[in-house]
Amino acid sequence: MSDAPSTEAAGTVVELQINGERHAVMIQPQWTLQYVLSEVLGLTGTKEFCGQGACGACTVIMEGRPILSCMTLAVECEGKSIETIEGIAKANHPLIESYVKHSCMQCGFCTPGFVVTAKALLDRNPDPTEQEIREALGGNLCRCGTYPAHVKAVKEAALMLREGASRA
Amino acid sequence: MREIEMRRMLESFDNKRADPYPLKEFESVGKRGVRRQDGYDKASGAAKYTIDVQLPGMLYGRFLTSPFPHAEIVSMDTSRAEKYPGVRAILRHDDPELPEGASLGGHEPNYVAPLPRVAHFQGEEVGAFVVADREEIAEEALKLIKVEWKQRPFVLDPQEALRPDAPVSRPEENPGGNLDVRGVFVESHGDVEKGFAEADKIIEFKFTMGQNTWVGPERPCGVWWWNGDKAEVWVKQQRPHIAKRAISTWFGGIPMNKIHMHCLYQGASFGGWTQTAWNLGGMYCAAVMARRTGRPVKWVFSRREDFYGGEMDTGIFYVKVGAKLDGTITAVEERGVVVNQNLPVFGIAKHFIENTRVPHVRGRTENVWVNKGPNVPTRCEQNINCYSVNLVTNRVAAELGLDPSEVALKNDGAEGHDIEWLNKRKAELGFPVRDSLRECIEKGKAAIEWDKKWHPPGTRRLPNGKMHGLGFTWTHEWDDSGGTGEVAIYIERNDGTATILGCRADGGQNAETTYCQIAADELGFKVEDVRFKHQEDAGFYTMTPDTSTNLSVNGWAVRHAARLLKAKILEAAVAPRGVTQLGSYPPAFPGKRPEELDIKDGVIFEKANPSNRMTVAEFVGPSGAAGPLASLVGEPILAQSEGLAHPERFTPPMFEYAWQVQRGTYLGVRLRFCRQAHFMEVEVDTETGQVDVVKVVTVNDVGKVINWDGCEGQAYGGAIMGIGRGCMEEVVHDPRTGIMLNGNLLNYKIPTILDYGSIESLMVETGMGYGPYGTVGIGEDVATVLPALIGPAIHNAIGVWVEGFPATPDKVLRALGKI
Repeated sequence: MSDAPSTEAAGTVVELQINGERHAVMIQPQWTLQYVLSEVLGLTGTKEFCGQGACGACTVIMEGRPILSCMTLAVECEGKSIETIEGIAKANHPLIESYVKHSCMQCGFCTPGFVVTAKALLDRNPDPTEQEIREALGGNLCRCGTYPAHVKAVKEAALMLREGASRA
Repeated sequence: MREIEMRRMLESFDNKRADPYPLKEFESVGKRGVRRQDGYDKASGAAKYTIDVQLPGMLYGRFLTSPFPHAEIVSMDTSRAEKYPGVRAILRHDDPELPEGASLGGHEPNYVAPLPRVAHFQGEEVGAFVVADREEIAEEALKLIKVEWKQRPFVLDPQEALRPDAPVSRPEENPGGNLDVRGVFVESHGDVEKGFAEADKIIEFKFTMGQNTWVGPERPCGVWWWNGDKAEVWVKQQRPHIAKRAISTWFGGIPMNKIHMHCLYQGASFGGWTQTAWNLGGMYCAAVMARRTGRPVKWVFSRREDFYGGEMDTGIFYVKVGAKLDGTITAVEERGVVVNQNLPVFGIAKHFIENTRVPHVRGRTENVWVNKGPNVPTRCEQNINCYSVNLVTNRVAAELGLDPSEVALKNDGAEGHDIEWLNKRKAELGFPVRDSLRECIEKGKAAIEWDKKWHPPGTRRLPNGKMHGLGFTWTHEWDDSGGTGEVAIYIERNDGTATILGCRADGGQNAETTYCQIAADELGFKVEDVRFKHQEDAGFYTMTPDTSTNLSVNGWAVRHAARLLKAKILEAAVAPRGVTQLGSYPPAFPGKRPEELDIKDGVIFEKANPSNRMTVAEFVGPSGAAGPLASLVGEPILAQSEGLAHPERFTPPMFEYAWQVQRGTYLGVRLRFCRQAHFMEVEVDTETGQVDVVKVVTVNDVGKVINWDGCEGQAYGGAIMGIGRGCMEEVVHDPRTGIMLNGNLLNYKIPTILDYGSIESLMVETGMGYGPYGTVGIGEDVATVLPALIGPAIHNAIGVWVEGFPATPDKVLRALGKI
């Protein structure tokens, strides 16, 4: 069986700008961005939970907008700038610390998707209300029910960002 | 036996009394703001789960699933699939290496086929396991397997299944019919007929629970690697101790010390998947194929496949209750028809027996098998008990025009005795005597403004046109079931930090931090200097969140180990240390006795003279070649040449272990003193049937809070899961074909951040728990108690009862007579 010749398409190379770094990746046309990030590049913080765009666990920021990477073919992302949870953590975004402080995680599988979604919110709205935070996170599912903690954490991170900006 | 060892023994075996040795002061226990041990890993995306594991050359395995609810494989042609590029091997049900049965996990030990030929529900993994270079290749190859199925008649509905002419759903396991002959559970005390005769009012009602499921965010999966002659395995498994034990029985026996188990972070399944009888079937098939291919194999389920198991409260329940006009309940009789419960079948009236003064109680649970997936304890097996305490309390209150919390207080007690009797038992066992339920009710009523908002059913229409409702429920705690927890604590050389060893699954309750708090406070260490290394198999297995047990067992073990270790450190600090050819080493604290010393913030000091001090790091010294036998200036011989009689430092390894054996599990083991009370405020749209949960107040007497984030997280998280179970979650099957219709997260709705109003989670700390420092657990409580609370809240809003849960809009409209 293992000797069977491969008839799989040879694949294609896409160039992705991930967390500020250039990656040229050989992909198959059917691969999703989530698959490439997690399985090919080892950026396993981008999680697959529902696998059909219903839960937000796979959220990444592409060209400044939060997108569902399980619903995005990697081949569509040629040349695109992509920010993942690993990049947000590496940049010491205050959301990370406020998420720890407010205990926003239980099993933690969905947590990175929330952080990325919240980061995208704060990028465009530095002082969101509770309702705005809820609406922004309304597409992220958490089976452990950690939702109440997220509102506090996002508000605190927003405050830290604003204070940082005013000092600068 | 050392005195402290004797004390450990006595503590271990006395589970029926209050904690006899409380710490005089706490440093981190019960304090807010203790940083989560897993926090950064999970927030930053660094946390690794079993599904993230990649090994060199790893292959991926997926299962064939049955398209029919009841069918057997007559013949199967895998030749096309075998030729599909990237497929490396296919394991067939008729493979000579597969046994008829193996120990594959479950709530109780089970012996089932690793790869069955016959499917008893649509979606069951049967027939073939395809191993390929990538998961997508395995999935494609599965479509190329040609199967000749022999379809069998099937039955989905439990009431239909009980008819004499119904198709037999599991003829191999239960040939006589669909009523599980091993699955009838009867419990009682008193004489219900006498109780009904004494009643002023008899109330009878029925309720149903639809099938809800756990929806574990990480798909079921596992990795098997034959690392030389050793089995190295990664399990998504809530009970790694049971998994390792089962694995050791496979293939003619694998020595336990040749199984290396990794239990990484778990994308939760709340009991659920881990409780199903076949949950190690994937590991078994992966093991066979890993050997055959010489490569590591990861098996995975699809998202849909995770939907086939359900929560065990699925069923139909009939309740008869007798009450006096003042709300005193004289008798409760219940019959439950539950569906596809894996053994053991649980009681449905035991909370009335354990938790109330109701003198006459009888419960009968009948398990019926239908052609759907298994229903197992999922946070947890007490659901029906909680639902029935809730609905009986509220039905009695509604019929008699009483406040339901007054009915609860009137009937609180234990084993048919009133609260006065229970208070005497509290005192006898050394507990504080406090009225836990009353304290919970008072706290919760104040938070939800009960006295201001409570009204007779169906009488308050809001300005937005919706009907306003308020609901209340209550019961006891139950986190004391049983099991064995074993842990060890080791003081690391070089920096004196402490490592707790004990393999356990992390389900996200923040338990690891909690254990670190206990160890830190008992040792006299800073909490940040203690780490629970729980993901590795170090030879100690703790209770994970299994058998409804976690902190109440492991917490004792951690505390015992920490106390023993502290005693060992202090004894070693005053004793002459190791002897070598060059002589012995003097004590760190010469001329002192252990009781003259103490440890705080990782520093050993003389209590009468705190300036006489040494850090634990200095005390344990460095490791290895520059380790215990080294002096500050080098090797012993060098030390002597430099005028020192001996090296400066030496200590033996600072290591201790402890365990807790807890004989628990339900009736008669020990009385429960801590209570919980929960409140829900809803708005019901009588035109659409939509119910909005605008506020929930949860109040749990947890005895003593050790970790606030953990307690509150379990309470509000449980409330949200409870809202889902009560309001929206139901797995739906097509009655005509038996096919599951909504096995995905688009069509099976779980709550989002927009599906509740506000949640307030309050704690009461009476100290009346059997765990360390008087604690009880909270992890299962709220998610289990809350779902049926939606019923009384809706009744208070619209004045009629919804019969079934989840209380979806169609059921509300039906209750209103509108459809």
